[in-house]
Amino acid sequence: MDSPARPVSHRRRFVIGLALAALLGVGVAAVLLTGARQAETNERAERRAVVTLSALTALLERAGGGGAQAPEPPATGLGEEIPSPPEETGGMGLGDELAAVEQGTEAPAADSGGAVRRAVARFAETHPEVTAIRVLEFDGITLAASTDPRDQGEKQAPRRLAPDEKSFYDLGQKLRAAVESNREGAEGAARQPEIRVARSAGALSLAAPIERGGQVVGMVQMDTRTRRDPAAFAWLPFLAAWLGPVIGLLLLSLALGERRWPLAAAAALLLLAALWLYGRHALTVLKEERQASGRAVAARMAAEAKTARTLLAEVAPLGGRPAQPLQPERWDVDEFRQPRGLVTAAGQVDEGKLGELAGADAGRMTRSVITLGLLGFALLAFVGLGYAARTGQALVEYRVAYAYTIPALLGMLVLVFFPFFYGFALSFTNANIYNTDKSIYDTWVGLGNFASILGDFGIAKRTAEGLVWNYQNFYYTLIFTIVWTVSNVAIGVTLGLTLALILNLKDFAFRPFYRVLLILPWAMPTYITSLIWQGMFHRQFGVINQIIQLFGGPAIPWFDRPFTSFLAVLTTNGWLSFPFMMVISLGALQSIPSDLYEAARVDGATRWQQFKSITLPSLRPALVPAIILSVIWTFNQFIVIYLVSAGEPGGATEILITQAYKIAFQQYRYGYAAAYSVVIFMILLAYGTWQNRVTRATEAIG
Amino acid sequence: MRSNFFRGTLCALALLVLPALAAAQKEIVIWHGYRGGEKAAFETVVENFNKANAGKIKATTLAVPYDAFADKITAAVPRGKGADVFIFAQDRLGGWIAAGNTVEPLDFYLDAPTKGRFLKATLDAMTYQGNIYGLPLNFKTITMIYNKKLVPNPPKTTAELAALAKKITNVASGKFGLVYWYSDFYYHAALMNGFGGGVFAGRKPTINSPQNIQSLEFLNKWIAQGFMPGEPSTALITSLFNSGKAGIVFSGPWFLGEASKDIDIGLAPLPTITEAGGKPMRPWITVEGVYVGAPSKNKDAAYAFVKYVTDVPAAKVLALQGRQTPANKAVYADPQVAADPILKAFRQQVDVAVPMPNLPEMSMVWSPVTTGMNTIVKKTATPKEAMDRAQKEVIQRINDLLKK
Repeated sequence: MDSPARPVSHRRRFVIGLALAALLGVGVAAVLLTGARQAETNERAERRAVVTLSALTALLERAGGGGAQAPEPPATGLGEEIPSPPEETGGMGLGDELAAVEQGTEAPAADSGGAVRRAVARFAETHPEVTAIRVLEFDGITLAASTDPRDQGEKQAPRRLAPDEKSFYDLGQKLRAAVESNREGAEGAARQPEIRVARSAGALSLAAPIERGGQVVGMVQMDTRTRRDPAAFAWLPFLAAWLGPVIGLLLLSLALGERRWPLAAAAALLLLAALWLYGRHALTVLKEERQASGRAVAARMAAEAKTARTLLAEVAPLGGRPAQPLQPERWDVDEFRQPRGLVTAAGQVDEGKLGELAGADAGRMTRSVITLGLLGFALLAFVGLGYAARTGQALVEYRVAYAYTIPALLGMLVLVFFPFFYGFALSFTNANIYNTDKSIYDTWVGLGNFASILGDFGIAKRTAEGLVWNYQNFYYTLIFTIVWTVSNVAIGVTLGLTLALILNLKDFAFRPFYRVLLILPWAMPTYITSLIWQGMFHRQFGVINQIIQLFGGPAIPWFDRPFTSFLAVLTTNGWLSFPFMMVISLGALQSIPSDLYEAARVDGATRWQQFKSITLPSLRPALVPAIILSVIWTFNQFIVIYLVSAGEPGGATEILITQAYKIAFQQYRYGYAAAYSVVIFMILLAYGTWQNRVTRATEAIG
Repeated sequence: MRSNFFRGTLCALALLVLPALAAAQKEIVIWHGYRGGEKAAFETVVENFNKANAGKIKATTLAVPYDAFADKITAAVPRGKGADVFIFAQDRLGGWIAAGNTVEPLDFYLDAPTKGRFLKATLDAMTYQGNIYGLPLNFKTITMIYNKKLVPNPPKTTAELAALAKKITNVASGKFGLVYWYSDFYYHAALMNGFGGGVFAGRKPTINSPQNIQSLEFLNKWIAQGFMPGEPSTALITSLFNSGKAGIVFSGPWFLGEASKDIDIGLAPLPTITEAGGKPMRPWITVEGVYVGAPSKNKDAAYAFVKYVTDVPAAKVLALQGRQTPANKAVYADPQVAADPILKAFRQQVDVAVPMPNLPEMSMVWSPVTTGMNTIVKKTATPKEAMDRAQKEVIQRINDLLKK
């Protein structure tokens, strides 16, 4: 209802629409860019700290002559036997000394534990930004060295850890478990980080394992200060990309006037152009940031290498075993201690790798521009084509009604819409038990889950014994679910209608008694009746087999063959579902006026003709909604299938919902199970819409 | 009246102070899934613990219905709403650790004497990636249970077993020499491990390893000799044994609860496998462990209870009153415990037993392998075909889980 006073101005609508859409699109893009720049700055600080940490770890592993470090395992993970040195060095302290004595070599001037402490002390002296270094040794749960100001006096290293330092010890054990598990061949999502980084305001705390002889013998934790470099929001590019198109549209509209569709086209093009240009700008900015990171890390690597060589000469003893050479190019590592390969040994940035990263950035940027563009177009259309104005008018006109419904809307938002949309979002990820701590964005696989569910056509294989069905296949389960639903609803309706007709007979003796008895299946909890029916179908002790055997037949192994298993669950659900149909039919039957039957009898119609022409049509308005409900409930009837047959044999009697449950809780694949549920929802939605349309069409005719 | 007023105030103040004093006492909550005799025995142990630590630690228990227990742990404990201590089997340990914030590693508290208390296999069961995440409380394993009337001398090797079983078997009258659930993977693990096979090597599945296939071909040989009933199920096994028609059964303590009192029951260790060079059959043990919840606010008190309940006095109560087989080594030297033939038999068996794998990937193994075993027993596939298929299925499931 447009108020007649104000004329519709397309220009105004499109300018406002473009301003809002550009604000949304460019705003989100600017926020993302700031986030990416901040992440790059953080990563730069972390990489430099990790380089320092690697230098420290390399020093500690060689301190006190324990330089026979096992060579790094090959990055290809061939899993070769890592050669351990002839003498087993169990720890950094006493073990080395004993080994040296046993070998008969000259004992180092200071004991190895002392060498470690000296190394730590000297390292702290040469690195003023490092606030604390603590070295944990698993053997004896000892704090082998510490420059932490709190570890003074009686808490001086070396000492056993105090009870409140358990988390320190557990962190070390976690790193050791990660190293061993990754070496054993953990892949993909099961790989665990071998270096832990904790970030707090202006400081970083890093922890890495210390290895001797191929074994992880301890951990070093290093706390360091970092420069606070918060990435500021770049206002100028944002304002340019936002206001530019708006001003452009205003100028263009001088030429285009009030023509609706040219204005729409111009607005859309300007929006797209703004987003694309901003995207290009973002890519350039990121590339520069990456190169700056590379240079910074290379500088740090060179500095650390120089310091480390000096310190090594001081700390490693003369005579005794020579230390393995330092490998500074392996110090810029990721969380799995694999070299990133972004900076070469000569300290130069590897342009090839940077190019790869830039390519990945470009891909992400394109996807973001497309998504933001689509959202922007939607907003533009909503405002520009007048829908926003209409919505506003409706809200004002019916504001009292909206005020009454807001509480219910909020409740539904929290209890229904949020879980639904969360599940929907989850279906686009591959969330599973290993990556529960990662965000939805990190585990995004797009339509991958749906592709593997709907694209798997391997429903059966032809083998020597004939056709073998693949029970785990989605389409097999779908067909089975449809067969299950159709049979159940057919049985339910037939049985319910028949019983309702019987109960509706005039002067039927003990009618209330029978009515109560026949409602009982519906009244008892489904869980309990399913368990009882499962017991009744037991091959050895079940009542059904015992009755069969009483009549001389063989005991049937109900759950060993697909068909008999299907009969078992069908019987159970049939028993459970007929009372509902019976009650609906009874109610509808009692509302049919009896003079219709009088008239038909007078006209000479047989009972069957009376039934077909009077009873059935009158029942339709009640039965059709009941059937829709029953179809949806039976399609998702988890309890009966799960408790009676549990999908036996081998998944042959699974329906879609039990399959989704098993994927989520036995295979721990939450994202895939969410996708399964979304598919189920789509199927039922399509069915409900189609059913509604069909019945309304036939009612119109009748 | 004034003195009354002062006395009243003093009493009130005293009453206010008392709760504060009591609050210095730490409170821990313990969850368990026990019923009946086990529950009574466990509550006795908790009572003794409270008495021994009066004023310092107070422990309260909550009996959780067993069906819902696993879900309750996964849902409540990581969010900080769980118990300080809980008792559960060890097979879900890998899954809990992968999910995080559920169980607390105990290496920090453990010293050599505490570690040395336990039967080695039981402590290995509680270890994941080199760290110990709980202390073993009791274990269940399968052993050889026989009818003394039909089998006066239990066989020591599988050759003896086969000969004896063939003698006893009379298919017409429904008597069988050896009756056990041979188509179930859990029971077959005894043969599989005995031949040197296994489910995982590190984190990689080895379901179709040559040793596994060898063990299945050995099983097929037994089936061919006809001294085992077709289509075994727990119900069939129990009914055959109770009607005196079964000579030897491989089963665990759960079977003894259903065995009839009329049968003279004997227990002996599982025989050694002649065809594998005399190596013993190595059944899986399921160990029930007592864990400290990771978000617990009273970890020291929780660990004190964990240490107490796995020590000899508590183990004795759980063994004699609760009919459990404790994981504590020293309790078996106690004369009352040593006099019980059932406890002695399982104690002997556990020396060669192997803990069931506790990796999260284990839960993906059961379904394909069960299908495989069924096809082997029904003769619709050879052991190699069935296990190759199962291996492919398990690898597919693991890859689906792990792909990034």
